[in-house]
Amino acid sequence: MTRWYEDIPVGHVLELGSHRFEQDEIIRFATRYDPQYFHIDPAAAAHSHFDGLIASGWHTVCVGHRLMVDALFAEEERLLAEGKQPGVSGPSPGVNKMEFKAPVHPGDTVTFQLLINGKRESNSLPGWGLLYSRISGTNQHGELVYAADLVGFSKLRDFTPPLRLRLRQALLRIPLLNRLIRK
Amino acid sequence: MTNPITRDRLHFEDLETGTSMDLGQIQVSKKMIVEFAREFDPFPFHLDEKAARESLLGGLSASGWQTAALCLRLLVDEFLSKVASMGGLGFSSLKWRRPLMVNDHICASATIAELRRSLSHPEWGIITLDIVVKNQKGQTVMTMTLSNLVEVRNPAIPHRTPQGEMI
Repeated sequence: MTRWYEDIPVGHVLELGSHRFEQDEIIRFATRYDPQYFHIDPAAAAHSHFDGLIASGWHTVCVGHRLMVDALFAEEERLLAEGKQPGVSGPSPGVNKMEFKAPVHPGDTVTFQLLINGKRESNSLPGWGLLYSRISGTNQHGELVYAADLVGFSKLRDFTPPLRLRLRQALLRIPLLNRLIRK
Repeated sequence: MTNPITRDRLHFEDLETGTSMDLGQIQVSKKMIVEFAREFDPFPFHLDEKAARESLLGGLSASGWQTAALCLRLLVDEFLSKVASMGGLGFSSLKWRRPLMVNDHICASATIAELRRSLSHPEWGIITLDIVVKNQKGQTVMTMTLSNLVEVRNPAIPHRTPQGEMI
């Protein structure tokens, strides 16, 4: 999120927009990353229990991620335009759970959404918070296509490092002591 | 009805819990990193070497989703294209433990952690795989647990679990 940890309310929903999955791009993604017959060959896919070509679940996940990144950049621009300082998001340590719920067929339009489920301050990274969120995609019939529980870092705006940490940072600025401390 | 595409592939009954597989390796070039990032993860530290040098990681690194996608490719080539796969169910506990930097290799391996039959669909088997991705230095880059459906050859015959249970 490009908002400070303190400014992200639990329960907040971010609409990420929609994407129509065309047959060409389904085949292009799968040829590179997931070349199973029901993702790359329409004729062979007709024999599968899907009765036709479907997108790789990982393709849907990657498109959802792209739309999330776009939404974060858009929010950053909006905050800057309002004269506000955007927050800082950090790396993601991983994904707790990802479920592929319904297949995505060529021509399907998937609408993506991000819901902030919970948050807490990090124990291992002082000055940062952990955000727990759920990303999901729904097709044009209102069926849930996939959902995932994500974890990400977000920086705290109001953070005063404890005395011990401030002392260490001050000492690190002295070159000789820096080398000794870093050893 | 027999599926002509998967008829001669390994079915659920042919798989065994505990089997480990080496999935091979791929080297990640700058071109691959930038191409993937442009399409799916356009953060400056995945797109531009100069911006990447100034970032937290100090160099161009691949999107975590690219590491996952490349690992999937290795899994399909070495395993899923040889079994009667019916598609993925999802994954859990995906952990990005270390960044994948430009020109790094990823080496993946998979272990069959669990095999069970679907209770609602007797013709469906569910395979769970523990996947580990390491770099060329042997450091763990990513781990995850993946679930996939596999065709059962004889749905009428119940499946005996390692605990002796019949499902």
